[in-house]
Amino acid sequence: LELVLIFPLKKKKKKMPQQRFPKIEILSIQPHHIQFILSETDTSMANAIRRIMIAEVPTLAIDLVEYAENSSVLNDEYIAHRLGLLPIRYVPEGSMRGGDCHTAFLPHTECVCYDRCPRCSVEFELDVDFDKVNMTRPDQDRDLPLTVTSRDLISNNILVAPAHFLNEEEQDEAHDEGISIVKLGPGQNLKLKAIARMGISKEHAKWCPVAVATYRFWPIITINDEACQMLTMEQKQELVEACPDRILELDEITGNLVAVENAYEMATYTEDLKVAQDAMKKRPEDDDFVKVEPSTDRFVFSVETTGAMDAEEVLFSALRVLKDRMNYLAAEVEKLKD
Amino acid sequence: MNAPERSACFLLDDDEEKVEYSADTKVSNAGTFTFNKEDHTVANLLRMQLLRDPAVKFAGYMHPHPLVHKIHLKIQTSTSQVAPVEVLSAAIEDLSNETDHLITQVTDAIDKWKKENDQGGLGM
Repeated sequence: LELVLIFPLKKKKKKMPQQRFPKIEILSIQPHHIQFILSETDTSMANAIRRIMIAEVPTLAIDLVEYAENSSVLNDEYIAHRLGLLPIRYVPEGSMRGGDCHTAFLPHTECVCYDRCPRCSVEFELDVDFDKVNMTRPDQDRDLPLTVTSRDLISNNILVAPAHFLNEEEQDEAHDEGISIVKLGPGQNLKLKAIARMGISKEHAKWCPVAVATYRFWPIITINDEACQMLTMEQKQELVEACPDRILELDEITGNLVAVENAYEMATYTEDLKVAQDAMKKRPEDDDFVKVEPSTDRFVFSVETTGAMDAEEVLFSALRVLKDRMNYLAAEVEKLKD
Repeated sequence: MNAPERSACFLLDDDEEKVEYSADTKVSNAGTFTFNKEDHTVANLLRMQLLRDPAVKFAGYMHPHPLVHKIHLKIQTSTSQVAPVEVLSAAIEDLSNETDHLITQVTDAIDKWKKENDQGGLGM
């Protein structure tokens, strides 16, 4: 009898994934501005999120303008350019916030309609005739030019309208009721139809949902208390004043150097502190008294929107775009495996 | 007159595939992936993730010309048991999971902040 041992084919063991588990800490949220700390991840992830928020978050913006009449002082393409830069706000049902429009609209290239349809575009009508409007204005204003603003754009989709103001403060301070487009004088009128489509900022900056999307590195401030004992109070004060970003202060009670509480908002990582310390050291190889270094895995993000979307929505949309991109690439790379 | 369509920087041409692969003839276990219509956003992310994998001996990316929207990602693995495609696939999966994790973290952090700061019941 021969014993035949059959070994099962060794399955290729899947490698342990090298996944990171990033953390988020919110510093402040306002409708148009969000600040948060992203940590335990790499610069590449922070930069990817930043780049996507600037370039690849889909929004609505006016893309085509059909003129019926334009006797204003600005020519057609000038007004079309201004209309394109208006932030267009999509507010989903039941919400009061400018939301992500990608669920409600299709990109124009993907829509199956012939020219345009409510699924891929929004139509705005604007019809302002100086002489007609002038009759309704109070007497003292009758000679003044009439400003055509974003309020005059009438949308065919009740959920979509231009974002006239960023917040109430701006609304109170403004002279007009919305973003001014053109000013009309007697006998001038403007009649047009504007079609807004969904797009991304890579195609044209009018589709950019953010005004500012940036991140800073968290400062790691290490203060060598032992070495600081050797410094006099004047020297410590000198160190405090050496930083143009004022991230150090002298603790009144103990007389020690401490970092300011909101140092992360102000740190600019200049060389001034290092230069000042080198002058105070007995030997150049001595340890630094205070070391300020940018962290490699903790980032302070600040995102301000134009008013078209709320700041949180921009962040969610950016993460969704990144996820969809990863899924798409995963599927495409799978095809190569065959 | 010669300006290409702006959408050409992110929409695939008719004859293009998103990802192409060519194995390196001179180096063992190495190959170059060409991603069409991509830029530093995804390329840097993939490269940094690949560098964290112990099976990867070399990982680097190039954007050969700013006007041509292609990325070359060269990967060399340390053994012939593991192909560059597999390593890339694992990196993409890890990044996808990391993004999912990030989405849940953001949702939780925002809810937590809203509770702590007692926002009025507007929106979500």
